[in-house]
Amino acid sequence: MAAARCWRLVLRGSGLSLHTAAEAAVKAPEVTGPDVAAAPVARYPPVVASLTADSKAARQRRVERWQATVHAAKSVDEKLRILTKMQFMKYVVYPQTFALNADRWYQSFTKTVFLSGLPPPPPARPDTEPAPALDVVALRDAACDCLLQEHFFLRRKKRVPLYLEHEAITSPFLDQLVASLTGLLSARNPALANAALDCKRPVHFYWLRGEEIISHGHRKGRVDALRYQINDKPHNQIRISKQLPEFVPLDYSVPVEIPVMNCKPDKLPLFKRQYENTIFIGTKTADPHCYGHTQFHLLPDKLKRERLLKQNCADQIEVVFRANAIASLFAWTGAQAMYQGFWSEADVTRPFVSQGVITDGKYFSFFCYQLNTLALTAQADQNNPRKNICWGTQIRGPLTVVASPVAEHRLRTRRPSGHGSRAQPLRGTWDLPRPGHEPVSPASAGGLSTTAPPGKPEGTPMD
Amino acid sequence: MALASRSARLALARLGRLGLGSCGAPRRGAYEWGVRSTRKPEPPPPDRVYEIPGLEPITYAGKMHFMPGLARPVFPPWDPDWTPPKFRRLPPLHEHPLYKDQACYVFHQRCRLLEGVKQALWLTKTKLIEGLPEKVLSLADDPRNHIENQDECVLNVIFHARLWHSTEDIPKRETYCPVIVDSLIQLCKSQILKHPSLARRICAQNNMLSTTWNRGFREGYPYPYPHTLYLLESANLRPHRFQPDQLRAKMILFAFGNALAQARLLYGNDTKVLEQPVVVQSVGTDGRVFQFLVLQLNTTDLASDEGVKNLVWIDSDQLLYEHFWCLPVVRRKAVVEPVGPTGFQPETFRKFLALYLHGAV
Repeated sequence: MAAARCWRLVLRGSGLSLHTAAEAAVKAPEVTGPDVAAAPVARYPPVVASLTADSKAARQRRVERWQATVHAAKSVDEKLRILTKMQFMKYVVYPQTFALNADRWYQSFTKTVFLSGLPPPPPARPDTEPAPALDVVALRDAACDCLLQEHFFLRRKKRVPLYLEHEAITSPFLDQLVASLTGLLSARNPALANAALDCKRPVHFYWLRGEEIISHGHRKGRVDALRYQINDKPHNQIRISKQLPEFVPLDYSVPVEIPVMNCKPDKLPLFKRQYENTIFIGTKTADPHCYGHTQFHLLPDKLKRERLLKQNCADQIEVVFRANAIASLFAWTGAQAMYQGFWSEADVTRPFVSQGVITDGKYFSFFCYQLNTLALTAQADQNNPRKNICWGTQIRGPLTVVASPVAEHRLRTRRPSGHGSRAQPLRGTWDLPRPGHEPVSPASAGGLSTTAPPGKPEGTPMD
Repeated sequence: MALASRSARLALARLGRLGLGSCGAPRRGAYEWGVRSTRKPEPPPPDRVYEIPGLEPITYAGKMHFMPGLARPVFPPWDPDWTPPKFRRLPPLHEHPLYKDQACYVFHQRCRLLEGVKQALWLTKTKLIEGLPEKVLSLADDPRNHIENQDECVLNVIFHARLWHSTEDIPKRETYCPVIVDSLIQLCKSQILKHPSLARRICAQNNMLSTTWNRGFREGYPYPYPHTLYLLESANLRPHRFQPDQLRAKMILFAFGNALAQARLLYGNDTKVLEQPVVVQSVGTDGRVFQFLVLQLNTTDLASDEGVKNLVWIDSDQLLYEHFWCLPVVRRKAVVEPVGPTGFQPETFRKFLALYLHGAV
């Protein structure tokens, strides 16, 4: 059997022998001294199922040995390596998909409950002072500046055609927006000042959920786990070094049921492929910024609103946003949890929380995700009441640009000097001789090239 | 078929072949129907148009088809008003509507100046000063401007860019060069808490600057002053990257272009000595070696060789680290070089931070 051969390879590699457990059991009573009389000493090796027989008990024992190697792995890298090194056919899940009702399917794959609206705010702690008021005007100005810069002010080599507008204009706009908002809000949140900002870095996650009977092949009729892989590329993501606080307690029971799909995932459509199993949050395990804060996703042109309306799928617009959020945020939080050493048999002891913003350039939707459980395999999920929770808002928008002569005039007059100038030019290091100093003719000002610079004039307005 | 007689077709085919200069054999893949005979084909009848003065020829033009016995019509030459772009011929250069007598040399991102910095200085009437200005160096050395755990943060940035940010074992320069510059700028931006004026800056990527039109951005842009240009050399292969000297020359010229556009915007198009010099900074890197540049534009009067010159301060070939080992070097089962950078110089990041904070502190 392929599975038996694979387990045997694993066992040989890890160096454990068939007799290890027996030897340990035999040696143990010799170590303990006078306490031995209380516990009955086993004078024969423990009676356990065979390792190599073609039986369910033997298979169970082999699986437990493999799980023991994962538990005994010394570093997270080694653990991830053992979990992902065997490649089998798996479903490739795309967060940005055109499939109908994909959000319900993804909820069932990831054991997620979807709640509309945002999570409850944290209880106000009496010891900390209230946070300073949010300068909404400054934030709105910054967002307008980013929007106008990309859509209107920036001169490009050639006029961007409509089909390239998405990658040439909307993508840099989102980059600028994230960078400027992070900068402006770091005053209120010091964690953002030290955060790492990634642009288009991949996020991968591999997990097992559910079982199926193999329909054809040499393993026909046998039970096999369903494997899934998400290879996502968020447009921007912010990673921090300290974990975000939980929204609700770990064992919070949500009355909403998770949708159960009665057919195989192939109906979604979802296709199987065999390639490298990777688990990646955007950086490798050694990075201190290993917790996620927010992801920003840009929907491609293929899934834009006008196209969906033309295809008579007006109800799928929300679904596209929700499916993207559930899949991407589950992958990110799951990968973060695995970077901390948790896996399906060692479930998370604290919830992993991340946020997401999904947009198509004009319409925005905000999501929060809390990962409460990684135990999604059939064996681990038998008595697992925990569910992952995803909160999401309705689609907000549109964000549009009005570039007309009236708007230009309004922009020009919007910057009165009373508000303080928005930008400062760099002042010269060597100021030229000013009237007030001894007159130096421009011809002999070539002295700039030979002697020391003229002294700085006093009273220079350095504002 | 266009031509009914086989002999006419063969003649045309042969003419075509002769026109190509081939040896007379048919084109590869060209099959010709018919029996080949060695008799030469008869020459085609000459198409003559007879002009008898005083007589009006009766032609078959009105009948729209050939009629034996009627004269051959002479049509006026047809002037197609549109040619497909494939067959269009350009007019000679001096007939082009935008032609000027004086040649204009265009400098773009891929131009490599052969003489390097010397040529760039001559082109922009600039004087070179080694080392950064004292104001910027004082910003670099001032301990108040340092970020806490600065060295640790910079080492983390180097690790992230060179090793951690992708699933590959050894990321390529095309990915790590923009990542390292973005991360260093993000690290500098963390100083925003201390200097709130840093928030009033915006970054524009890959935009077009054209000094002949005297503008980088449209009017009304709230961030019209260029602060620092970051030029990345991120090609994977060394011949595709610029040499350090050529990179410095490119930096001088682009900083000069930005400063000139700014000066034209502020003071108009006439050439003169500026009362308030325009200062633009530039940082050029290939991910490991940094070149810092501060250019001060004192005059736009570039035609004459004498007079006030522009100034440029260059700090060249600042290594951030000597080499980065992505995999540990193991000799005889002992780790000789651990994973990480060798020869790390924190001074380079201090200068980077100083250039970033210049103007806002």
